[in-house]
Amino acid sequence: MQAPSAQISLPGPAESSLNTGVPEPLPRTTKKLSATKRLFLISPVRKALLLAALAIFWQVYAEMLNNELVLPTFTSTVTAFLRSCLDGELTNNIFNSLKILCVAYSMGIVFAGLLTTLAVTTRIGTDLLELCTGMFNLLPAIALLPLALLWFGLGYASIIFVMVHSVIWPLSLNIYAGFTGVSPTLRMVGRGYGLSGPGFIFKILVPAAFPHILTGLKIGWAFSWRTLIAAELVFGTSSGGGGIGWFIFEKKNQLEIAELFSGLMAIIIIGVLVENFFFKTLENRTIQKWGMKL
Amino acid sequence: MNATVTNDETPLMTKDLAALHTPAPPQEPLLQVRGVTLRYNTPEYLVTATYKVSFDLNRGDRLVLLGPSGCGKSTLLKAIGGHIRPAEGEILLHGKAITRPGTDRGMVFQEFDQLLPWKTALENIVFAIRNTRRTTRAEVVDEAGTLLKKVNLGGFEHSYPHSLSGGMKQRVAIARCLAVHSAIILMDEPFASLDALTRRKMQEDLLALWSESRFTMLFVTHSVEEALTLGSRVIILSSRPGQVSAEFDIDITAHNELSNPVLIRLRERISRILFKDAPEYSI
Repeated sequence: MQAPSAQISLPGPAESSLNTGVPEPLPRTTKKLSATKRLFLISPVRKALLLAALAIFWQVYAEMLNNELVLPTFTSTVTAFLRSCLDGELTNNIFNSLKILCVAYSMGIVFAGLLTTLAVTTRIGTDLLELCTGMFNLLPAIALLPLALLWFGLGYASIIFVMVHSVIWPLSLNIYAGFTGVSPTLRMVGRGYGLSGPGFIFKILVPAAFPHILTGLKIGWAFSWRTLIAAELVFGTSSGGGGIGWFIFEKKNQLEIAELFSGLMAIIIIGVLVENFFFKTLENRTIQKWGMKL
Repeated sequence: MNATVTNDETPLMTKDLAALHTPAPPQEPLLQVRGVTLRYNTPEYLVTATYKVSFDLNRGDRLVLLGPSGCGKSTLLKAIGGHIRPAEGEILLHGKAITRPGTDRGMVFQEFDQLLPWKTALENIVFAIRNTRRTTRAEVVDEAGTLLKKVNLGGFEHSYPHSLSGGMKQRVAIARCLAVHSAIILMDEPFASLDALTRRKMQEDLLALWSESRFTMLFVTHSVEEALTLGSRVIILSSRPGQVSAEFDIDITAHNELSNPVLIRLRERISRILFKDAPEYSI
């Protein structure tokens, strides 16, 4: 009886012996790319080049326009930025804005935390959260500024009020979505250790919902930062108290347009720093490391 | 006749065996399930998962609940875990009714997401111990490391769950359960999502772990082979609503060999019981 394998024709030694002689040299599988090609594959390099091109375009166009009151040149904006940074005028305003931002942002986080804690522990809390976020999330924070001025007058209190409003609803919405999305298995594991109340929330729910919480924190930051600048700007709410918005408002009144542009530049730089360094680092150290990225 | 292993060398094991051989005073079973009916709500129906189920679980048992999908065996396990309250009957642990989840019942689930993804394998075990006992951190880390080696995961202490394979995650989950020294370990089809080869290895390793520390285990499965491999007793539940339809003692050896003629006959009997009331399908 023949083994079944004999009926299957396999490329055996008989076949390979046909093409005898020197084995053909294999083509080289890897070839080093030229230095410029390798450089161009790095995304930050490409972006830096693009940024330089935009700056040159700005410079050339502003030179052609030749009207400092409409569009100052790139170089004069940069010198104005450096000058106002060095004499402390811009840095003081930035510092004031960031201070308010920190206060309002922390308050927003605390309130959102309390609200969502209430929402996951009681049914009436759930209804309250859903009702409030459903209504107030649609209300632009800046629309509340006139009312805030009526209640709190000119000054920081009004700005903080509208900023907390801008943080609390989107953040609550995201935290709550994260909490409800925690898998039943993980909940049972936590309950099995006898965890309940705050222990359960902080040891199980918060880390398990962290991807959503981080999204909420990012959205909350973006909303509050925009609201802050807008609130400082509209009616000059901070009224001499300082802030980047106030700086821009003032420079427009004094027709120092290069300084106005340098204020805008500061807003962009701070935004980039917070989003690409602070939040990026936080993300890499948490959800990226845990394999929980959404 | 009872399960006996004679080639023990470790002092821990001989001590355990000595305890096993001394005539134990007549004691009540560790876990008593008394006429338990479980119901749960779906948006449209009130589902009766199990109807008047009763059984006992003794110390050191490896009891397997075997039944077709949807016979309420997982629901029953959750009720013993304290996550669901029986609509009727009672579940007693150490003679006291179970009302809530607790550390005296460790649970291993089928789902791979039962590990805390934000903690490493080691930290998952450390977390379990620290939430259930008061000890120093250094001691706990030592203990957790030993347990990981016991489930053959030495070297993976600092890996996060997302970088572990399905089988490895289940190993961590089992180690975590052993760490809290629960009176009973409840296993809800822990190997069902694994490939056949890994599943076999896991079953062997689980038996080896059991013969080392003789924990009490309640294992839920829908696989007859798994039941015969792992169980010292098998309880068969009928399909919805789950009711006990048969109970078998398998006291042959600690490590059951499926090729054993006794087991082959038993397997045929169980299959007949299981598929008796199964609907017929035309292929």
